[in-house]
Amino acid sequence: MNSRKMGPVELLHMSVFSQSFSPCGRFLAAGNNYGEIAVFSLSAALSPDASEGSQKPILNFTAHDGPVFSLLSTDTHLLSAGNGEISAWSWAELIKKNTKAAWTRKPNYETSLEIPEINAMIINPKDNSLTVGGGDNNIHIMDMETGIFKSVLKGHTDYIHCLCFKEREGEILSGGEDGAVRIWDSRTNRPVHCIEVFKYEECARPQFGKWISCLATDSDWMLCGGGPSLSLWHLRSMSPTSVFPLPGCQREAVFYQDLIMSVGEGPNVSHCLHGGTVKAQIPCSPSSLNTLALNLKNTEHRVMTVGGSSHQIDVFTNFSYRAFSLSF
Amino acid sequence: MSSDAVKKRKPKVIRSEGGTPEAKRGRGESDQLSAVSSHVKFRKVRLRQVKVKIPAGPHLIGQRKLFTAKTQEVRVYNEEVELEGRDPQHDYMLYKDTCAALAKLMAEIQELKAGGVKDGSVEIEERRRQSSVHFITLKKLNRLAHMRLKKGRDQTHEAKQRVDVLHLQLQNLLYEVMHLQKEIGKCLEFKSQHEEIELVSEEEFFQEAPAEISRPHVTRDDQHQLTLARLDWELEQRKRLAEQYKTSLTSKEKIQKAIEQKREYLSSLQPGLQNIMQASVPVQEYLKMPFEHMQKQAEVARHLPPPLYVLLVQAGAYGQACDKHLSVSISGDVDEAKALSRPPEDSQDDESDSDAEEEQQNTKRRRATVGAQLDDKRKEMLRRHPLSLCVDLKCKDGSVLHLFFYYLMNLNILTVKTKVSTSTDLSGAVSAGELLNQESLLNCLYASDHGKETPNPSNRYQFDKVGITTFSDYVSDLGHPYVWVQKLGGLQFSSDGAQSGLRGSALSASHMERTIKLLRGRLQARLSLHKQFSSLEHSIIPVSSECQHLFPAKVISGLTRWTMMSHQEFTELGFVQHVLKAGLVHETDLFFMAVVERGTARVSAAVVLNPRYPDVAPLFSLSLLWKGERSGRSDDNLRAVESEVNVFRSELQGPRPGLQLLTNQIQRLCVCLDVYLETESQVCDGSEGPKEFPREKMCLRTARGPSRLKPFKYNHPQGFFSHR
Repeated sequence: MNSRKMGPVELLHMSVFSQSFSPCGRFLAAGNNYGEIAVFSLSAALSPDASEGSQKPILNFTAHDGPVFSLLSTDTHLLSAGNGEISAWSWAELIKKNTKAAWTRKPNYETSLEIPEINAMIINPKDNSLTVGGGDNNIHIMDMETGIFKSVLKGHTDYIHCLCFKEREGEILSGGEDGAVRIWDSRTNRPVHCIEVFKYEECARPQFGKWISCLATDSDWMLCGGGPSLSLWHLRSMSPTSVFPLPGCQREAVFYQDLIMSVGEGPNVSHCLHGGTVKAQIPCSPSSLNTLALNLKNTEHRVMTVGGSSHQIDVFTNFSYRAFSLSF
Repeated sequence: MSSDAVKKRKPKVIRSEGGTPEAKRGRGESDQLSAVSSHVKFRKVRLRQVKVKIPAGPHLIGQRKLFTAKTQEVRVYNEEVELEGRDPQHDYMLYKDTCAALAKLMAEIQELKAGGVKDGSVEIEERRRQSSVHFITLKKLNRLAHMRLKKGRDQTHEAKQRVDVLHLQLQNLLYEVMHLQKEIGKCLEFKSQHEEIELVSEEEFFQEAPAEISRPHVTRDDQHQLTLARLDWELEQRKRLAEQYKTSLTSKEKIQKAIEQKREYLSSLQPGLQNIMQASVPVQEYLKMPFEHMQKQAEVARHLPPPLYVLLVQAGAYGQACDKHLSVSISGDVDEAKALSRPPEDSQDDESDSDAEEEQQNTKRRRATVGAQLDDKRKEMLRRHPLSLCVDLKCKDGSVLHLFFYYLMNLNILTVKTKVSTSTDLSGAVSAGELLNQESLLNCLYASDHGKETPNPSNRYQFDKVGITTFSDYVSDLGHPYVWVQKLGGLQFSSDGAQSGLRGSALSASHMERTIKLLRGRLQARLSLHKQFSSLEHSIIPVSSECQHLFPAKVISGLTRWTMMSHQEFTELGFVQHVLKAGLVHETDLFFMAVVERGTARVSAAVVLNPRYPDVAPLFSLSLLWKGERSGRSDDNLRAVESEVNVFRSELQGPRPGLQLLTNQIQRLCVCLDVYLETESQVCDGSEGPKEFPREKMCLRTARGPSRLKPFKYNHPQGFFSHR
């Protein structure tokens, strides 16, 4: 699968949807709306003698027919999700510029008219399974050993935006277009809770909608946002503790030390404090952002990267200003 | 050794011979007889006489002196004779005996004296007398020795002189030999003139030459005679050839005269033939065989400058071979061209002379006339060749693209002006004004060939001289110096990159076909745009039947406005800044504003139309005015619409060469706006939303993916909308 030539118009209309750092932390993979995955060398781009060329991908290949909405790295492989299929690429092979998929799996979908997309993937380290969620409203769980889809979690009434794993309890959290955050027990595959965020007046924003497009957890705390405002929840009491006054709809939020970082509509990365105040908004080059990734595995290349509706991926070495941009 | 030197030396030798033996002798005597030696020395000659005549007694010395002068010679002669008779060995023995006897006597005297015998006693006296006799003997011997020496010396000298004479004779003889040898050499080296004459070979000579010249009986053996005979034969032959040459000359003159006569006859035929030609013109026209016209064109073509000539030939050749609808003609003042081409060097000289004069004048009254003179110089520099080419490209629909090619003589570049004549009236569309404008019609025929600046790098320096800052000021007057025009005329400048080493006709030929095709494509594109624009201005989007399947049957959004914009106006729009930043907008592009409306929603689309349309797709940037203003920057769905319109040209371009691309893009914009609006009200919560836009399009899902995009992709036979 070789990359087709991107013209300037294609570049102009490119969106970056997903990112994943390699297990060694020296490479960054990014997926765009044309189904391409680009691999960037962070060590080259961050080195003191970096040139224009080192901000270009070392490898660019077409991985799927549809947009690559989700990328995930295991210890050895890069998993990418396209239109209804999951492909795995060995990082070692990718670095050697070998773009042959290690394997490709398709969840068992019931619909046939339109192939559902896959919006989110997470690894459950406890039983080495891959949890994927997307367009068919269901969560599919695949055994990574055998490659068999062993169970399906049904409950959402619209497509699933995001997934998140709560390690201590072994719980899977899912947020969807239907505005619900559902909590599932990964051992029994049964629903535990369902929070309909849009029903809480503190965070509801009916002018946007009710969908939940970002989820993150940290022990007993959960972040969720989307149509409703980004809010911090205390899971044991199942109540929102703080609501962040961010104007746009958020698409990705993470806990980082004592901060909450969030991206979404609007050309900036928001730094929020747990108390509910927005500490800073850092401008970026794309006009709206889809994905934010932190490279914490490798202390040498500790960066934050964000991508959105542009062919550029902004790199932050210091989290309070944009250092440079990688470019497709 | 020269004889002079020998002579000079001789006296010296003699002198030294006279001195040294005396000294030697003196020394020898002093050893033995120190008491008497000085005495003997002083009276050498006298003692000789004393000894012979009178045996002893110094008392007689005075007397003998008197006759020595008279008798000396005789005595010397006698002594010499005596010398010859004596044996030197015997003399030596005598000398030895005498010396021994003398020594014995001395010893006896000594003894006696020691014995107390007094001086003057008999014994002593006796012995003294005996000693004196011995002394005389010694003296005699001494003299003899001297004479022998002298004699020997004389003999040596004589022999030496003889040797000298012989040596001189030898030298003379050697010299003579050398001289004779030289003379012989000179004779041997003598070259005769006949050696440079190339003669026929000997065999040939004996075969061809008559016997009275060759005389074989003499010449067979005598090389000298042979050469003489061969020379005679050569002379004979040359004489014959000279005669032949004369006869040839006369015959040549005769033939020339005949030719002259015939020529006169032929030229007298010409008027008659011309009359016949004149008479045949109507017939030619009737039969559609324009021989006459072609002939005339060829006649005129001789006066074309080389680039235009190349263009004429190549365009004509291409027209004949591949393109029946291409015609080439020459226009302009032929007489002026003739005047220009006849004395090219003279005119240039004049020019430079007048330049020099001008310069002189300039220095005199620089201030007053400098402006006017610069103007004149500029005009001169930008002068066009009086002849120009007109290439007409006819299209199938009857419209014609006229291309006028000019040659700027002093800048050595070609320029082109264009005119389009159409079969139908095209005055309808206001926004189409720029489309067939001769200024921009051929812009960027090849990528980034704007035709504003001169492609000849040396022009830069020429311009500096006369104060022209940029050629683009003169483009509207002189025409555009596009690079492809230079190539068609076979001109290649180094700034073109010079990838191919082609020059002249080969260069022109290599570009002809592609350029003509591009020109046709450009004209077709512009004409079809022209037509499309006039319907767009009437808010009708013309969608041809081939492209119907791209769009659903019912499209509610409609175009309400289609206007032209300037580059300036375009850059001032807020929602196109990202396009400007991406470097996708050039000043040569054409800019339009399309407004698509549905109900209260209104989309403004800024369109960038590249002159190379449809090779380069038009680029749309959107701004939606509905419940506040949204643009592609702030709304991901609107961005998706932009991408749907801009990116998928292969779906939208329709049948080749894609002349319906623009209208299909506008139609897709309308369809996407429908989808956008119909799904928008649904997304929130359908019950509360305003039902201004009831859902009519069939969509599988209204949102998908993290950015919640709407389904903008139309699936043809089923008629539903899905996501990409």
